[in-house]
Amino acid sequence: MAFLEINDLHVHFPIKGGILNRTIDSVKAVNGVSFQVEQGKTYGLVGESGSGKTTTGRAIIGLNEITSGQVIFEGNDLAATENKKLDVKRDVQMIFQDPYSSLNPKKRVLDIVAEPLRNYEKLSRSQEVERVADLLEKVGLSPESIFKYPHEFSGGQRQRIGIARAIALKPKLIIADEPVSALDVSVQAQVLNFMREIQKELNLTYLFISHDLGIVKHMSDRIGIMYKGRFVEEGDTEDIFSNPQHIYTKRLVAAIPDINPKNRDAQKKFREEVQLEYQKDYGRYFDEKGLAFNLRNISQTHLAALPEIGVVE
Amino acid sequence: MWKFIVRRIIITLPQILLLSLFVFLLAQLMPGDALTGLVDPNLDPAQIALQRERLGLNNPWYVQYYDWITSALQGDLGQSFRYKMDVTDIIAQRLVNTFWLSLLTLIFTYMIAIPLGITSGRFNDTFRDQMIVGYTYVGFATPLFIFALLLLWLLGFNFGWFPTGGSVQPGLTPGTLDYVLSKLHHLILPALSMALITTVSTVQYLRSEIIDTKQKEFILTARAKGASESRVYNRHIFRNSLLPIAALFGFEITGLIGGTVFIERIYSYPGMGLLLLESISQRDYSVVVAVVLLFGIASIIGALLSDIILSLVDPRIRIK
Amino acid sequence: MNELKLDVKKEKKAHRSQSGLNILWREIVRDKLALVSLIFLAVITTTVFVVSGLLDLNEIVRVDLFAIYEPPSENFWLGTDYGGRDIFGQLIIGTRNSLAIGFAVTLMTGIIGVSFGLITGYFGGQTDNMLMRIVDFFQILPFLMVVIVFVAIVPNYGIVEFSLIMTGFLWMGIARIIRSKTLQERELDYAQASQTLGTPRWKIMFGQILPNLSSLIIVTMTLNLAANIGLESGLSFLGFGFPERMPSLGTLLSYATNPQTLENRWWIWMPAAILIFLLMLSVRNVGEALKRATDARQRRG
Repeated sequence: MAFLEINDLHVHFPIKGGILNRTIDSVKAVNGVSFQVEQGKTYGLVGESGSGKTTTGRAIIGLNEITSGQVIFEGNDLAATENKKLDVKRDVQMIFQDPYSSLNPKKRVLDIVAEPLRNYEKLSRSQEVERVADLLEKVGLSPESIFKYPHEFSGGQRQRIGIARAIALKPKLIIADEPVSALDVSVQAQVLNFMREIQKELNLTYLFISHDLGIVKHMSDRIGIMYKGRFVEEGDTEDIFSNPQHIYTKRLVAAIPDINPKNRDAQKKFREEVQLEYQKDYGRYFDEKGLAFNLRNISQTHLAALPEIGVVE
Repeated sequence: MWKFIVRRIIITLPQILLLSLFVFLLAQLMPGDALTGLVDPNLDPAQIALQRERLGLNNPWYVQYYDWITSALQGDLGQSFRYKMDVTDIIAQRLVNTFWLSLLTLIFTYMIAIPLGITSGRFNDTFRDQMIVGYTYVGFATPLFIFALLLLWLLGFNFGWFPTGGSVQPGLTPGTLDYVLSKLHHLILPALSMALITTVSTVQYLRSEIIDTKQKEFILTARAKGASESRVYNRHIFRNSLLPIAALFGFEITGLIGGTVFIERIYSYPGMGLLLLESISQRDYSVVVAVVLLFGIASIIGALLSDIILSLVDPRIRIK
Repeated sequence: MNELKLDVKKEKKAHRSQSGLNILWREIVRDKLALVSLIFLAVITTTVFVVSGLLDLNEIVRVDLFAIYEPPSENFWLGTDYGGRDIFGQLIIGTRNSLAIGFAVTLMTGIIGVSFGLITGYFGGQTDNMLMRIVDFFQILPFLMVVIVFVAIVPNYGIVEFSLIMTGFLWMGIARIIRSKTLQERELDYAQASQTLGTPRWKIMFGQILPNLSSLIIVTMTLNLAANIGLESGLSFLGFGFPERMPSLGTLLSYATNPQTLENRWWIWMPAAILIFLLMLSVRNVGEALKRATDARQRRG
């Protein structure tokens, strides 16, 4: 049994309209998504904005209501109503995209980082201060800053506070929703490397959501690529980057710049091929509604949403 | 668009229903009932009980409510025990007076608001504008009834320019020119004192609307094309700024309803507001109920008008 | 760890919340008009409360038939009314009563409105829709008439009943404002984060979102205070406010509905009129300055 298993997840948002304001239609933000995450590994979820990757993450942690499907975490279905109150919440935490809005501007760092501790652990005031100071030290901030307010920190520092808050309860799974895309490029690498360090230290599992395939490649063991609420391709990082199958994946991979000048010609050639195929065959990769087909196995670890086996040579 | 209007009207119906229920409930809370004023209290209690039964006053509340609302819909709002006449007739008289007062107030309101707002917006931060802004600032903080008292004291009593009470000079024949002029003379001071206070929000709104519009892209474009300054103002800015003012019209009606109570009290002007106050102090509750119901319906219709005009003017509202 | 604990007080002082009360305070001090208004309000409030404590209420409201309608003199600084009662004393007590009920109604409407707005705004959805329709309805009602009718029919009418009736029909405005702001706040990441951290909903509403609404609440309540003082004096003026034996500023003005008093005895109603005007103007000045402070674009410096 997998550590985290998503089965045929649907998240639909109703569209209201008409004279009586009834639900007339729905936006299918997540439209039948299944994948599995292994403990201690990082699963990268990639896609453009509107592809449903963030909604998937938010549905797992319970911020978006699940229309249908299962989210099985360590054997418990989080989507089932009778499990809503289950105490697995403390084992699943989230790192938010925007370090500015994700920290309450009216609260001191102490109150922000201690919030989860106050909900689940009864600590004395001094124990609490000690724990928070420890956590801050762990994320590389000076413990003296516990009485400061969020606005006294830079974006990167704020994101570290957010991480300290997320790891306060020693969770098993962390959903990281674009954790670095609001940060300066110079700070991004710092935060990412730091995230990898604490992953090893605390044996964390990450669901890493990003639009940046380069960052995902750096972070992930396994990758799922989403488009319009569906998976177009899924596989180990190696599979995706060395042997992309779906035209959408190919274009994403081709768009990653390569620093090595020796590869420049190969890269250029690959790009041109992809462009040609895109112009010629793009429509065949999607059904009549413009959605991706069901995933098929390419290899043991590699799946792609191809129309039929014969199309791709 | 028609969708929005239909939906808005559909919302209005339950509102009126709720209002009638609310007013009915108030009526039930009032001491006495339809019979209290009509019969001689020295009558045999058994007789009174019989009368009560006959009038359906012992029925359950929803039956009574149904009776009341159906007769109200047919224009029968009961009897006033003090005037010994139909409530509808009393109200009809008073309603005419309040109507003229409100109409003149509205006319004054816009006669003041439009030139002041336009001057203030067009020449913002000049001396003229500062004077107007000062006026609106003070006007906002002044309660209507204090201002009306002051005007009455100053222009009515000290200068004697205007009559200090009533709606017409007694002894004139209705229909003559003198009668009409006297009516107008009695109306001017009450209407003006109300208009001078209620107009300030419209002036402020118009001012900020014009200042906003002035900086919009399409005005810059008009200027860049070489349109003359007066053309820019007359053809482009005013038209765009006056439309939202139209939407406030409905709210204006709602505001007037509260205002007339004070104004009619201060100027002893025999309208609906004064009728309400008189009826309450004389415990003539069938009149009170009718007045509250009518004013409530007027407010609901005022809000409806505002929303509809607003939806015509501002397409963004419609989506909601 | 001990070092850290010792520092707590000093550290807390050294760091201030960004858009907190101190910004509001700074803005008032900078705005001379608002500062003068605030000082005026403070002086008036303390004066009326202290002096009315010294005055003997029974002495003031006692009818003295030998001193009816006396113009201002040494004995009666502001003259007397139709019952020979001292106007100055009534003015002091009236101001105290008007201010007290203004504060009380503002506070009560504030508490009800903020709680209602927070809860409906946070939960949203169908319940919120229904509740807001009801609020809409009560806002459309002609407030003045309904209050007058209530005042007339409530048995054992007194000061408590009066403030409850006013509160009952005045909490919707602030509820609307708080609701729409809560609708925005609950979508922000910090509120969502609290949810993922296992914080109970009522704690998110009152512990996380409420502090972020503090400036808005203060501004709205200040402006409401001005309006409530005006409403109270208006109702008392019409005779549907304070009960007989408790003079308010509006009661003094209501004497002016007698044409002779209005025409010839200005000392009875004029001071109350000026005082109501000044009170409302200065509360508004403070309120407007606070409003500017919360809107960073309009802040003065």
